[in-house]
Amino acid sequence: MKKILIIDDDEIFRKTVNDSLTNAGYLIVEAKDGEEGLLVTEKEKPDLILLDLMMPNMGGMNFLKVLQKEGTENKIPILISSNFTSPNPVEEGIALGIRGYIIKSDESLETITTAINSIIGK
Amino acid sequence: MTLTSILFFILVGGLAVSIYHLISDYRAKQALFKREEDISRRMYELSILKEIGDRVGYSLDVQQIIDVIINTLGQLIDYSAVSYMLFGQEKIIFKIHLEKSVHRGFIDDIKGRMLGSLSALLDREFSEKNIKEIISGAIIINELNEPVRSFFNIPLVIDEKVVGVLTIADTKSGLYKEEEMTILYKIIQQASKAVTSLQGVIKTEQAKVNAMMESMADGVVMTDTDYRILVANPSAKSIIGLSAKESITIFDFIDNLEGKFDMRGKLEESVKLDKAFKSDEVLIKDKFYKIFVFPVKTSTVGASGGKDIIGGVVIFHDVTAERAIEQIREQFTSMIVHELRTPLSGINKISELLRDGQDKIEKKDFDEYVKLINTDSSSMLELVNDILDIAKLEAGKFDIKKEPTDLRKIVDNRIDFFRPSATDAKLSLNVVYDNEMPALVPIDQAGIKQVLNNLISNSIKFTKADGSVEVLVVHHKADSKITDEFTRLSCKTSVPLHDESFVGFPESIIVAVSDTGSGIEENNIKELFSKFKQLGNKSETGVKGTGLGLAIAKGIVEGHGGTIGVVSEAGVGSVFYFVLPL
Repeated sequence: MKKILIIDDDEIFRKTVNDSLTNAGYLIVEAKDGEEGLLVTEKEKPDLILLDLMMPNMGGMNFLKVLQKEGTENKIPILISSNFTSPNPVEEGIALGIRGYIIKSDESLETITTAINSIIGK
Repeated sequence: MTLTSILFFILVGGLAVSIYHLISDYRAKQALFKREEDISRRMYELSILKEIGDRVGYSLDVQQIIDVIINTLGQLIDYSAVSYMLFGQEKIIFKIHLEKSVHRGFIDDIKGRMLGSLSALLDREFSEKNIKEIISGAIIINELNEPVRSFFNIPLVIDEKVVGVLTIADTKSGLYKEEEMTILYKIIQQASKAVTSLQGVIKTEQAKVNAMMESMADGVVMTDTDYRILVANPSAKSIIGLSAKESITIFDFIDNLEGKFDMRGKLEESVKLDKAFKSDEVLIKDKFYKIFVFPVKTSTVGASGGKDIIGGVVIFHDVTAERAIEQIREQFTSMIVHELRTPLSGINKISELLRDGQDKIEKKDFDEYVKLINTDSSSMLELVNDILDIAKLEAGKFDIKKEPTDLRKIVDNRIDFFRPSATDAKLSLNVVYDNEMPALVPIDQAGIKQVLNNLISNSIKFTKADGSVEVLVVHHKADSKITDEFTRLSCKTSVPLHDESFVGFPESIIVAVSDTGSGIEENNIKELFSKFKQLGNKSETGVKGTGLGLAIAKGIVEGHGGTIGVVSEAGVGSVFYFVLPL
């Protein structure tokens, strides 16, 4: 069973996406900010990370930068899910090797699941 | 013999008497003649003075006035040449009018003498090169070779300032006595007086305009048609960073605008094409300006049949503050949108899960979804209410209905309301009252409840576990020290209040909400109660907020005629207090 890490400070987003992806047959682990995300990544070795950008303590961009330094980012595909709509973070994220970008308020749980399916299959 | 002798004596005597009479009569006639001459001369002087007065009119052009004077002078005084020297815009104007032909040396001699007396009057050296020479009247005949034999100078003084010198000279010697000089002095004095008083009027008017220009926040620069700067107000100078510079040129502007705005080009366009110009926002030395360029026209219709353009005006309008407000407004809007969008999208996603049918969802999950929908919708509702309250406060439609109320009841009720969340956050929550509280306080119950909700919930939010939140209520008497009044209570505020903030307060009730939270940095305190400001740093527990609550609390307290404030120390805690006058 593929493992997905959701890093987001929004409790409801974590809960709903978790349930929806669990229904789709994934195993889910959660983290509420970048800092916790790094610990969970290290411990759980997820197959994909769903990453928010604006979070307290450590935001998504900094999380990506730390991962890149450690050299793990090539092994784990990362999908950004944020409400940022300006192109800058998208470009910055692509430069840091992300696999996709989801505007989280606009997309349904189904779309998120489909996007994840297309990256790591079932 | 005797008879002859007697007759002879009589004859001689008579002759002598008649000669005496004749002589004395002649003397009297001469005196009379002299007086008549004097009177007619004085009449003449007066008529000349009047003529000068009429011809000068209301002119302020000194050169024009002196021209009128020297054209009239020939009727009063004899001379070979009359000349003047005046300070022009760039050069010294030397004009000599020849009544009789003289040689070149005569003119140069006068020029030299006049320059000398100007130097002596102003204690400054003047170069011959800097003189613009105008010769009129009779022709120069070099063979004449007659030197200057009579000569006198009169300084031209306007408003106590030497503006030039007037000279009369002749080739004949011993011509000018006190009489001539007095006449000329009188004339010059009269003209000077007229110009001075006229200039006085203009100065007063100009001072008004200047004062306005000087105090203007906008930079104003006026140039003539050759782009020479006539006026640059202090704001204009400070915009290009040359506040201290006395005289400023267009090049100062060109250099300091660093190519961001083609001032010279726009002025040229404006003056030549009679066109007004408005720039986009231009960044000059950390500030944003909109720059306007206008042609300046005379108020009267000129020879061309239209109003003549006499120069250009450039106005620098600082839009930095407007821009900042615009930016804050945008941030505020996007913050509100974000705060609404997040819970709404949460509810939307839960509904997506629920759509699959209740039978597919575990009971535990279902209960969780309902709880989440409730939390999300509550936070949205709270935000919408806050926005409505702010809108009401701004429109002055936030009704404060004061009625005598038992304040203790209201505060106790709020303490009970917040006790569970304080316990959850492992905080102690207490309230202490002053011994001599008035039984009833005139307040708007709902409003004060809202203020307390805001302050107490903030304190709970921003205080770490094992901390404390205390509500202190003091009955303040006019003229007594607030710190003394607070020491009466059984518990202290985390940060002491400052007596100087309460000087001159009338009898009132002071409610302080004190916490041992993270505290607020000094530079953030000022903006705390402003509508658009929300502190960037998140609370210890990661709580977010719109920051509208304090702005609303301020509006409510001020609606009671009171004030709201805060003392805080980073790492020690914060005390938010509000004062309700009795």
